Amino acid sequence: MSKLFNKAALVGAIIMAAGAAHAEYPEKPISVIVGYSAGGGTDVMARTTAPFIEKYLGEGTSIVVKNMPGASGQIGITEVANSDPDGYTLGTFNLPGMMARTLDREADYDRDSFTYLGNVVNDPNVIVTAKNSGLDTVDKLIAAAQENPAAITVGMSSLGGDDHFMLIKLQNATDTEFTIVPFPGSAPARTALMGGHVAMGILNISEVANFQDELNVLGVALEERSEFAPELPTLAEQGLNIVNGSMRGIVAPKGLPEDIEAQLTAAFDQLADDQEFIDAMKATANPVQVVTGDDFKALTDELYDLAAEVWETSPWN
Amino acid sequence: MYTELLHALPNVLGFSNFAAVVIGVIAGIVVGAMPGLSATMAISVLVPFTFGLDPLVALGLMAGIYNGAMYGGAIPSVLLRIPGTPAAVATTFDGYPMAQRGEGGYALQVAVVSSSIGGIASAFALMLLAPPLSKVTLLFGPSEVFWVAVFGLCSIIFLLGGNPVKGLLSACFGVFVSVVGADPIYGSDRYTFGFLELLDGISIVILLVGLYALPPVIDLLEVPLKTDTDTNRLGTEPIWRTLPRMMRFWKTWLRSAAIGIWIGILPGAGGSMAAFMSYNEARRSSKNPDDWGKGEPEGVAASETANNADTASALIPALTLGIPGTAVAAVMLGGLLVHGLQPGPMLFRNNPDVVFGFMWQFLFGAILLVLLGGSLATNSFARLLNLPRPLLGAVIIVLMLIGVYSINGRMFDVYLMLGFGAIGYLMDKLKFPLPPVVLGLILGGFAEENLRLALRIGRGDWSVLFANTVSQVLVLLTLAVIVGPIIKRRFFKKDEARG
Repeated sequence: MSKLFNKAALVGAIIMAAGAAHAEYPEKPISVIVGYSAGGGTDVMARTTAPFIEKYLGEGTSIVVKNMPGASGQIGITEVANSDPDGYTLGTFNLPGMMARTLDREADYDRDSFTYLGNVVNDPNVIVTAKNSGLDTVDKLIAAAQENPAAITVGMSSLGGDDHFMLIKLQNATDTEFTIVPFPGSAPARTALMGGHVAMGILNISEVANFQDELNVLGVALEERSEFAPELPTLAEQGLNIVNGSMRGIVAPKGLPEDIEAQLTAAFDQLADDQEFIDAMKATANPVQVVTGDDFKALTDELYDLAAEVWETSPWN
Repeated sequence: MYTELLHALPNVLGFSNFAAVVIGVIAGIVVGAMPGLSATMAISVLVPFTFGLDPLVALGLMAGIYNGAMYGGAIPSVLLRIPGTPAAVATTFDGYPMAQRGEGGYALQVAVVSSSIGGIASAFALMLLAPPLSKVTLLFGPSEVFWVAVFGLCSIIFLLGGNPVKGLLSACFGVFVSVVGADPIYGSDRYTFGFLELLDGISIVILLVGLYALPPVIDLLEVPLKTDTDTNRLGTEPIWRTLPRMMRFWKTWLRSAAIGIWIGILPGAGGSMAAFMSYNEARRSSKNPDDWGKGEPEGVAASETANNADTASALIPALTLGIPGTAVAAVMLGGLLVHGLQPGPMLFRNNPDVVFGFMWQFLFGAILLVLLGGSLATNSFARLLNLPRPLLGAVIIVLMLIGVYSINGRMFDVYLMLGFGAIGYLMDKLKFPLPPVVLGLILGGFAEENLRLALRIGRGDWSVLFANTVSQVLVLLTLAVIVGPIIKRRFFKKDEARG
């Protein structure tokens, strides 16, 4: 009897301790797993965001960024999906890449494996052309592509990424066909454009902002002009309603306790109006667009559906 | 632009900024000298810590580490025949035989002076010629870069050694290793057997450490009493006595610096290709090519000048175009981004003090190399060899394991490295040459990716490979490299027959 009582007391004590700990979340350092190496775009996003989240979670919060690079971020995000949903392991999440990987290879996670906290960056796609291509307006580009299908070479980073989906949207919207040249990253693609080795390119706004004199930037795939580089016109202004981009945010494993989820989501919500944060992100080439909680989940679903549709009609490997 | 360059100078000479370069160089030499630890790794470990530092302190550390490590790699190459970094493979060819002859000290002095000269030339190229040289980079599209890779592969035929069949097999093994991982165009898996860890391909450092470092260590432990490098006869004359003897290398220094700078501005190839090519060119123009590989100091000079000459120049495309010339430059770009320095033409206008300051730091790093490297290496590192052999072997194995583990922080890489070690041990015993494996891995992947991109640009038409002047010149150079020695041999034979 006394044994049972002891056990009950013990269990009660544990529950109380856990309850107390809960109230004080976070009581130990929070890890953010980055699936890329230190100094990459996603890593810099995480490290720039971390101090602001620390600020909004309250005094004494500390966030540790851990790099687990490999397999285009897949190793890191798989680790996040398999972690305990206790609020002490978060991870960076890239769209549409992370969703496309669940289609083009066997992934140990899917879109239901996460608690969606906040998307932080939306780096919209831009259509650019080489200076020597003579295709300096959207109309000229589309006319040339319609006249001579597949004659225009498009430099971009790998297949199954935001650049690729952007091109598919462009092809569908204008009934054109282009020849894809997938470089091992955006910088080599941009260099090939500057050297005139490919005629057209699909990049992101952060990648062309510093190269406006070296390339023809035709338009940005965003509803309104981006605050990141307001001098660049949108495609919509030129009668082409295409919106697409690369997103980076932070997720937790699924099944996060609701109060912790609420606390974290609230912290992300506050980023949207923090001018200091927006400036710090701009300095590191990250255009900010904060989308949190259910909206972030909906955004992921939308991009998954797009990727799945493309994969159905034209698989890329 | 040149006034801005001078404006940046006083800031660089500030105490903390200058101290960062000094510390960086020393750390770089140490890291480079440890088999398994490379400059790329040291800088990637450093990047997260630089968030809180002043930009020039952070960049000074990186510039110092890069310069220091490129020389540091020569130390174990000369003393143990274990290249400390991938770029130091060519230094083993003549450096190790010199050490066996008791001239290890002199070999290290040649290495440090050559490294410094290469680094200084490269820093000047970065400071004075960055904008025009970045235009050269733009001329090289996928088809041109493909030919550079082919030229590189052909020009190192000599690496095949005494038995061309074994040499070719080694090269093929290297090219095969380059195939492992995600397909460069479609991203589909090749030979990964479902391991995510293999998806990014096999890191050159893992292969190098396994192939090169493990067999000599096993050798060390197999024959505990074998003494082939006599440390008492390391030949440590003061450097001012040996310096005049080195002056005859001036032609090699010039040529190798030019090759190193050129390879540096081409994205992707990096220090090992620079060192191999400059070694080969120096050997071809030598009066006594037969002495090479048997302890010719000029070979050490050629390799070490070139692998330091690509340091600053690799930053030319990195800073102006955002494409890193080498793996180290790629990590450095990350370090720059952390401080809000985004590559591109605007960088020089927006942040001149930091960018030009960084360039000065490269120059000072290269100059400091002689002062710090000269004494540090010959006086301290060479003493390592006084350690009892079982202890030395154990220390090296521990360093290898730590180094390989810390690349990505996973045991998989360590097991992979041990696997390559077993292969390397067998190859060593069966007298298969190892350098072609390294080159096959580096240039194989490089050639494949660019060939396929070029063919996509040409929409399957092979004529795209010969479409412009740069490609045609490279094709002619490649032919000259292959046919040249054959013709030369014919003439020599005739001469001998007549004589």
